[in-house]
Amino acid sequence: MIKTLPKLFFFLCALLLVGGMDATAQDLTDVHTIIDRANLAAYYAGDDGRALTRLTIVDAQGRERIRQFTILRRDVEDGGDQSYAVLFSRPADVRGTVFLVQKHVGEDDDRWLYLPSLDLVKRIAAGDKRTSFVGSDFYYEDVSGRAPQEDEHALIETTDTQYVIKNTPLDPGSVEFASWTVWVDKATFLPMKMEYVDAAGDVYRRIESLAVETVAGYPTVTQMKVSDLRTGGHTISEMRSIAYDLGIPEQVFTERTLRNPQREWFSTRP
Amino acid sequence: MRGLLFVLLLCGPTLAFAQDDDWGDDWGDEDVQAVEIHGLVEVGVGSRVVADDAQPGDVLMNEARFRLSLSHFTDRAEFSFKGDALADAVTGDVELDIRQALVTLQPSSSLVLRLGRQVMTWGTGDLVFLNDLFPKDFVAFFIGRDDEFLKAPANAVRATVYGNTVNLDVAWLPRFTPDRFLTGERLSFFDPGQGQRVGLENLPAPLDAVRPTATLAHSEAAARLYRTLGTYEVALYGYVGFTKQPAAFDADAQQATFAPLSVYGASLRGGLAGGISHAEVAYYDARDDRDGDDPLLPNSQLRVLVGHEREVATNLTLGVQYYLEHLFEHEALLASSFTPDYAPSEQRHIVTSRWTYRARQQTVTLSLFTFWSPNDGDGHLRPVVQHQWNDAVSFAVGGHLFFGDAPTFFGQLADNTNVYGRLRYSF
Repeated sequence: MIKTLPKLFFFLCALLLVGGMDATAQDLTDVHTIIDRANLAAYYAGDDGRALTRLTIVDAQGRERIRQFTILRRDVEDGGDQSYAVLFSRPADVRGTVFLVQKHVGEDDDRWLYLPSLDLVKRIAAGDKRTSFVGSDFYYEDVSGRAPQEDEHALIETTDTQYVIKNTPLDPGSVEFASWTVWVDKATFLPMKMEYVDAAGDVYRRIESLAVETVAGYPTVTQMKVSDLRTGGHTISEMRSIAYDLGIPEQVFTERTLRNPQREWFSTRP
Repeated sequence: MRGLLFVLLLCGPTLAFAQDDDWGDDWGDEDVQAVEIHGLVEVGVGSRVVADDAQPGDVLMNEARFRLSLSHFTDRAEFSFKGDALADAVTGDVELDIRQALVTLQPSSSLVLRLGRQVMTWGTGDLVFLNDLFPKDFVAFFIGRDDEFLKAPANAVRATVYGNTVNLDVAWLPRFTPDRFLTGERLSFFDPGQGQRVGLENLPAPLDAVRPTATLAHSEAAARLYRTLGTYEVALYGYVGFTKQPAAFDADAQQATFAPLSVYGASLRGGLAGGISHAEVAYYDARDDRDGDDPLLPNSQLRVLVGHEREVATNLTLGVQYYLEHLFEHEALLASSFTPDYAPSEQRHIVTSRWTYRARQQTVTLSLFTFWSPNDGDGHLRPVVQHQWNDAVSFAVGGHLFFGDAPTFFGQLADNTNVYGRLRYSF
């Protein structure tokens, strides 16, 4: 019984998390509540998580590149700081490369990169979060989340299934967009589509959630597509072997993992 | 070892080549594989672009490399092997360079052992080394091989203990492993004895050096004690061994050799003002020449480094470093030196910069690294353009420019200014 209690607790939490699923429930009208729940649903499911991820990067000519990695995440606090560890397995020339991020909300993240051929632990300047993640159309910020406090939010439409929210950056100089709009699923609170608009009012970038599965009670986007409408290129992200609440210790997100990633946590073998 | 490589080559294809990059495949990682096989094929050419009377030819690199990487995991251990066969038209040899032959054990959650041949790196400098006394290959570094070849492998036992408050990293190299230093083959350098730049044209033979006899007392040991404090990483270092370059002279053998050396140091690295800053110091204790009056041995030194790196514009990163080498007992050195005119300055100041610009979704990288010594007036530029054609094929075109007067570190290399190109296929 003692053992099953935590499970029951998680089950109840999961129920609460997807509480809005009931179609007859009242629509939410407070945009901050929606945005916060969307942030939690998209980036903070469980206390930690693991997935084998493949990015297929396709340029305008149809040429494909692949980045495959195992990603571990651990939340320090829901909606707050998080740690990420990424171990690359493909392509061959980046195999064994490890990327470690200590995400700090409201401050610069700490980022490290380990290059196995040189046995080199590199510290990476926090820099612009809106630059390409490993050469894909995803930005760093798409992977680890954009803090809701950085934008002003307006609920512009509530459809049968979605909340449509327009977000305007508080510091327009820090980003390349004038605004972005997100379509949030009413039942799961997952963002189903995001469109970024430039100063001229044109949509130039789109992220779509192509597939959603419920894993361990958490609705999870398992397939995503980001399109760069200016270059004509796109990247598809697919996730497999997803697991939540593994109890990954804090120590996994330290220099130890950069040099010696522990199979126990990174292996996605069944 | 050569036999082993061929056996592995023969067995290879039957072991685990079932890794096509098709979407329909099983993503590899879920596969229980016997041995994972990877590798590369690379061709590189490079040539001197200035006249050098000390060398019979200008071709610095003309080679083909084949690498086989094998790895195998069990619950208790990880085995990895990385061997390069290098067909080198400059030397006319086929060389086998085992870069890794390693067993990694994690006997407990707080201990990692890495036993065997391996590349090791620590310290905070960018192409400037203070507390990293692991072997380096300066020939590879100056003729245009990939950056990874700057680090040479060594046979070592490495143990890392992860503690609650502090971590300890210890590396023991049973046999002294020097840098792969300039010998006069390919690259010419300044010889104070001859008072001129020397190469194959004016050397009786490529430079060789007497190594310390292979006894336990002549092994190398390096240790690092480190921890993270918030965003900062702090470390203390120690090393006992020999100078990694043949900086001493063995009067009996009438040959260059390696001087006994101990190094103690510390470093700090962390986020500062939106970038990454680092600082490092090291005291080089010339154990057998603390008074600095033995002309056959190098003097003690203090090395200091500070640096900062940040993204200055989208996709453009700039790193700058200031580095100081202070020679102790400089007067004694001048008084005892056979060639005081060519003696090094008491202080050598160096400023470095690294510019990196990534374009076209990081498939194109433009990079420039510069070294410049304001007081010695010498320097070195390393421009390179790299292009990732696809996941398997990449190429690089670059150059190495040296300037300054002969006795200075980069000035002595001035006749080696070169350009190079490399094409690599990885699998």
